[in-house]
Amino acid sequence: MSAVGEPLIVVESLHRHYTVGGEVVRALDGVSFGITRGEWVAIVGQSGSGKSTLMNVLGCLDTPTSGTYRLNGADVQGLTDDQLASLRNKEIGFVFQTFQLLPRATALGNVMLPLVYRGVPKRQRRAMAEEALAAVGLTNRLNHRPNELSGGQRQRVAIARALVGQPSMLLADEPTGNLDSATGEEIIRLFSELHHRGHTILLVTHEPKLAARCPRAIRLMDGHVVADGAGAAVAGLGTSAPVPA
Amino acid sequence: MNALLDTLEMALSTLRGNVLRSILTLLGIVIGAATVVAMMSFTEGLKVKLSTDFAQLGAGAFQVQKWPAMSFGPRDWRKIERRPDLTREQGEALRDLPHIQFVSIEEYPHQPEKLTTPERATKQNIDVCGGLPDYEPANGVTVAEGRFLVETDIQLGRRVVFIGMDIADQLFPGEDALGQEVRLRGVPFEVVGIAQRKGAVMGRSKDTFAVIPWPAYERVFGKSRNTNIALVATSPEDVPKAIDEVVAKLRRLRGLSAQDENDFDYYSNDTSAEMFNNLAAMVAAATGAICALALLVGGIGIMNIMLVSVTERTREIGVRMALGARRRHILAQFLVESVTLSLSGGLFGVLVGGALALSARELFEVPAQIPLWAVLLSLGLTATAGMLFGIYPAQRASKLDPVEAMRTE
Ligand SMILES: Nc1ncnc2c1ncn2[C@@H]1O[C@H](COP(=O)(O)OP(=O)(O)OP(=O)(O)O)[C@@H](O)[C@H]1O
Ligand SMILES: [Mg+2]
Repeated sequence: MSAVGEPLIVVESLHRHYTVGGEVVRALDGVSFGITRGEWVAIVGQSGSGKSTLMNVLGCLDTPTSGTYRLNGADVQGLTDDQLASLRNKEIGFVFQTFQLLPRATALGNVMLPLVYRGVPKRQRRAMAEEALAAVGLTNRLNHRPNELSGGQRQRVAIARALVGQPSMLLADEPTGNLDSATGEEIIRLFSELHHRGHTILLVTHEPKLAARCPRAIRLMDGHVVADGAGAAVAGLGTSAPVPA
Repeated sequence: MNALLDTLEMALSTLRGNVLRSILTLLGIVIGAATVVAMMSFTEGLKVKLSTDFAQLGAGAFQVQKWPAMSFGPRDWRKIERRPDLTREQGEALRDLPHIQFVSIEEYPHQPEKLTTPERATKQNIDVCGGLPDYEPANGVTVAEGRFLVETDIQLGRRVVFIGMDIADQLFPGEDALGQEVRLRGVPFEVVGIAQRKGAVMGRSKDTFAVIPWPAYERVFGKSRNTNIALVATSPEDVPKAIDEVVAKLRRLRGLSAQDENDFDYYSNDTSAEMFNNLAAMVAAATGAICALALLVGGIGIMNIMLVSVTERTREIGVRMALGARRRHILAQFLVESVTLSLSGGLFGVLVGGALALSARELFEVPAQIPLWAVLLSLGLTATAGMLFGIYPAQRASKLDPVEAMRTE
């Protein structure tokens, strides 16, 4: 546990370079910021600006080429694959644009999965998963498979799965990208609710309106942070000018 | 434990999704397991049959006969047919050998016979023998009631018969058979003794034999006969010496020169065991070869299923990793899947092989008995094949990069 007030996430001059056909692509090119517990932050920027790459690094799915990443006061770089897996399991809840549910498993089965890898006994696992599904309003869909659910319901299952292990933060990469606007709105309201309950949320989005509703937003461009401030300002919809990084 | 059960559960649910493909690809595994079980069942059946057949001989006993009692491998049957018959005189001449205690000269008709009373008849399945008192020690007969044949039965040409328990039961149910009359080809014989029950071996009763004095046999059957000579050595340890003496004597009596092969066969418990072991080794080698080939083919099939499965489920693997699965969780999941797959093929193969052995026994009276160790062996082999051929796909799955994996379609 980090001390009160210490940021949950600190990244400093984070780089992530890909080499494609002898050419170096700087997907992240010196990114620095901090995020405190309980914040709801939107990550915005054009396609290819490095948003997903950043999320992957913050989610411990990918390791930076250079720079430091401290999560909960501990350095992430230099950890083994197993340690990273354990971090993902305990500290991070992922929500993806394409839901990424296991097609053969039921809603309950999908939500229990992170707990399987944590070694939680089956009965307890089930109880926790039911609770998480209730929290996203899916009490009556426990035994449905993903193809028996609507898009919005699938995303709710995915959010329940992200929440079930009580992680330090939720990482959502365009969670409304595959949903119609009404359903997307429902999901965003769910995030808002989770934020009010104290969850830390990072949300990648293309939609300025959505970013404007977040208390804070970070704008990326070509792997750099070009703006970091109040959501409405960074999204360019508010009255106050964006704060240059 | 918990984790293993979870992994097994996951594996089963994926396999259930691909039943048909799994079964087809498992054919090699099924054949491998079935071969082991079926072949070993036949070997085991033959072993049980031979050991009971020869346990019928008394201690220290061995047999000489014109026809091979059993023969494995190529034999020149026409040459065997041209062998001169063994004669009573040749048999009698063996009595003087130093390590021979009893000589039982036995005449057998070419077919099974039946015995009748005015009221009843047996089936046409009685092994009749024209013999001597020495039949008793040479064949390990135990008298239950009455007596066995004696020397005076032979000298006086009495028409008496010593019968197996089944005959007594069939012809004289609820009565004492001793002293009663039975007819063989219409000729009356008096029952003087009944043998203790030996029971059935693989469905064939050992209590359907009848022994009559050989002069009486000759009167009923004439010259139609096969002559066997069963001998008993002075002690079980003397059997090899006794065999040497008998072979030398018979070769001289039958006018064989030094370079001729024996024109008769002999069997002791030892030579039959040796013959059986040779056969069993041959069968085991053939089984091993077939099984290895089938398992190789099946193993490659499994590797193929698993590689396809890894490819199809790349996204799933990525998602599992994102949710906290360690590399060894993924490795274990796919290994358990391939072992489960292979084992289910093995289980099916055991059923097929067992059914094959048992139906061959029922339909064609082939001796067969399924040994537990063969079942365990084939399950062990198939599990091992699943493990070995599952390693590569499982490793491939566990080494995937989670970000890349989740991006695949
Ligand atoms: N595996 C990879 N190999 C090579 N280049 C990559 C790889 N992943 C991402 N990139 C490059 O890195 C840059 C950032 O990609 P990223 O996916 O982070 O963009 P993004 O902001 O999420 O875009 P979008 O809004 O379209 O999802 C892009 O130029 C992309 O081509
Ligand atoms: Mg992206």
